[in-house]
Amino acid sequence: MESFLFTHPATKSIDRPAHVGVVGSGDLEIILEPNDQATVEVSIRTHVTGHKATWEAVIKRFFEQHDIAANVKINDFGATPGMVAMRLAQAVEVSSYD
Amino acid sequence: MIKSLKASFTECSGRERTVELLDTEGYRELLGPFDGVESPHLEKQGIVPQSDDGVIVAKGTINGHLAVAISIEGKFQGGGIGEVSGAKIAGTLERVLKDCEDGRKTIPVLIYDTGGVRLQEANYGLLSIAEISAAIVALRRHVPVIGVIPGKIGAFGGMSITAGLCSAVIMTKEGRLGLNGPEVIEQEAGIREFDSEDRQLIWGTIGGEQRTATGFADLLIEDDMEAVKEAVTSVINGDKTFPQRTEQEKRYNNFLRLVQPNHRLSFEDVRELWKQSENDSVVAKRTSHGTLSNGRGLIWFNKLRGTAEEIGDLPSVRVADSSIGASKVRYIAVVPDGENYFPRARNGELGLLEGWSIAKHIREAIEEDRDGEKRAIIAIVDVPSQAYGYHEELLGIHQACAAAVDAYASARLAGHPVISFIPGNAISGAFLSHGMQSNRIIALNDPGVNVHVMSKQSAARITQRSLEELEIASKKVPAMAYDVNSFEKLGALYSLVDGIEADAPENKDKDLIYQEISRAVDDVRDRNVNDLSNRLTSDLAIEGGRAASIFVREKLFAQWK
Repeated sequence: MESFLFTHPATKSIDRPAHVGVVGSGDLEIILEPNDQATVEVSIRTHVTGHKATWEAVIKRFFEQHDIAANVKINDFGATPGMVAMRLAQAVEVSSYD
Repeated sequence: MIKSLKASFTECSGRERTVELLDTEGYRELLGPFDGVESPHLEKQGIVPQSDDGVIVAKGTINGHLAVAISIEGKFQGGGIGEVSGAKIAGTLERVLKDCEDGRKTIPVLIYDTGGVRLQEANYGLLSIAEISAAIVALRRHVPVIGVIPGKIGAFGGMSITAGLCSAVIMTKEGRLGLNGPEVIEQEAGIREFDSEDRQLIWGTIGGEQRTATGFADLLIEDDMEAVKEAVTSVINGDKTFPQRTEQEKRYNNFLRLVQPNHRLSFEDVRELWKQSENDSVVAKRTSHGTLSNGRGLIWFNKLRGTAEEIGDLPSVRVADSSIGASKVRYIAVVPDGENYFPRARNGELGLLEGWSIAKHIREAIEEDRDGEKRAIIAIVDVPSQAYGYHEELLGIHQACAAAVDAYASARLAGHPVISFIPGNAISGAFLSHGMQSNRIIALNDPGVNVHVMSKQSAARITQRSLEELEIASKKVPAMAYDVNSFEKLGALYSLVDGIEADAPENKDKDLIYQEISRAVDDVRDRNVNDLSNRLTSDLAIEGGRAASIFVREKLFAQWK
């Protein structure tokens, strides 16, 4: 297991928290919660070791496209980068959905 | 309206299942993902935890009836029951029990998707499952406890025993219900006994259709959301009621009498035998010349009973009535019988006949003492495991275990002091069935005393780790270790007795154990608490042995309202 913390600047706040996914084979769990700082703070725990650079790239790209101030917790059980991006998009959608 | 589309319940996640089952209005999840109460034991072992520890608890109503849905997420760690997930289930049931006692009838529905104890938290799972079982038995006096097994994983291990305790078990064809998972049977008994890759064999033995046809489940339903809700509602309304399986000792013993375990029964044979078992058969007492045992179970049984007459009906389940001081006691021990009718239970394992026999002798005592002094029931525990085999699963060993669990729990609730005395091994489903429902547990402080969930070989196979990795992990998490000193740290023992000659007890050893048992019996009578809560209020439990179990309950009760 490995864990990382990435922080990026952010400006827009989100309406509500979101929870998606499961810590199961090839999947991950994401918990997205609003914060009142001008950053997005992403803490990751992953089952698969040795892919810090990939995680950094995926997170950086996603939050450049989605400017949200939030605390993001990711519990990963071997999701592919594509899966990670889709779950993140789902979490953002849920957090803005009535 | 004609229903044209089915919406699968099985394909839903654990959380979606609770949303589908409960009415939309008033739905509220407790200890949800944002509360972040995760397992404290997984990260140490390099395993990523989940924010709800794989159990979803939701309060609300089902077609207007107050209800709580407890759903296990099978995709996270195989739905394994660890300390937090176990405490969420047990704590919820305990809280529902309180509501029911206060006149607020709330229906608990358990949605199963679990392989049983989470091996990475081993004895925590075992303790939790004992507490879940205790709560189900107590709750059934107030409300039906409904179990739903939709499928994907099913209900296995200790959790299959809890399913066997439910008032109604609802399954789909895809659901599976069995004590020992296919891989574990293969590992323990060999591929000729059970081929874990043979899907037809697996579903034919323990699948929903077979289980419903052979007396181990009540309703077989389509894999459809509406169908689940309809079936659950029919049980709540009382439109459908079923005889309590664990109390049908006669029928199941009839059923087992009809079996010739020397040839391999087919799935169809069992359905036929189940139908035939409705008719009473004359039950001859089983005898054996093969009691080769000089195991600790038998040694201590004989030592403690002294000259008291044996009244058991099986060579492998020894029963005697005696007294310690002024207290009447009934001793029950499970011992090896080299000629056991079921070959897979010949080394002292708790098998089909043993479970039902324990149940019979306890219920007998409850009945006899209904209006008098409630004798103490002393379980002498030296059990290597439950029996692993094809016939065992086919003929419902989980149900035999549940019968024993239910009997011990019922005795406890009826006011009998139930005491476990562990001079040897206390392992897995066998310990759950014979020993774990006691008011007090006494163990010998001896290297030959072990408490655990699964043999190291099987545990390594299931968790996909090497034996070395397993050893390292058990040093970090005492609940994973096998020795009784590690088990003691969890706070469930009433006493750990030093300086006893475990293999060849002398009279002074016997007297010391009499003293310990007396002390435990008096303690139970003085405190007059019939549940298992003392395991959470002991000093060792509070000081850290059960920290998460206690914390989860506190948080859960605070959110209950």
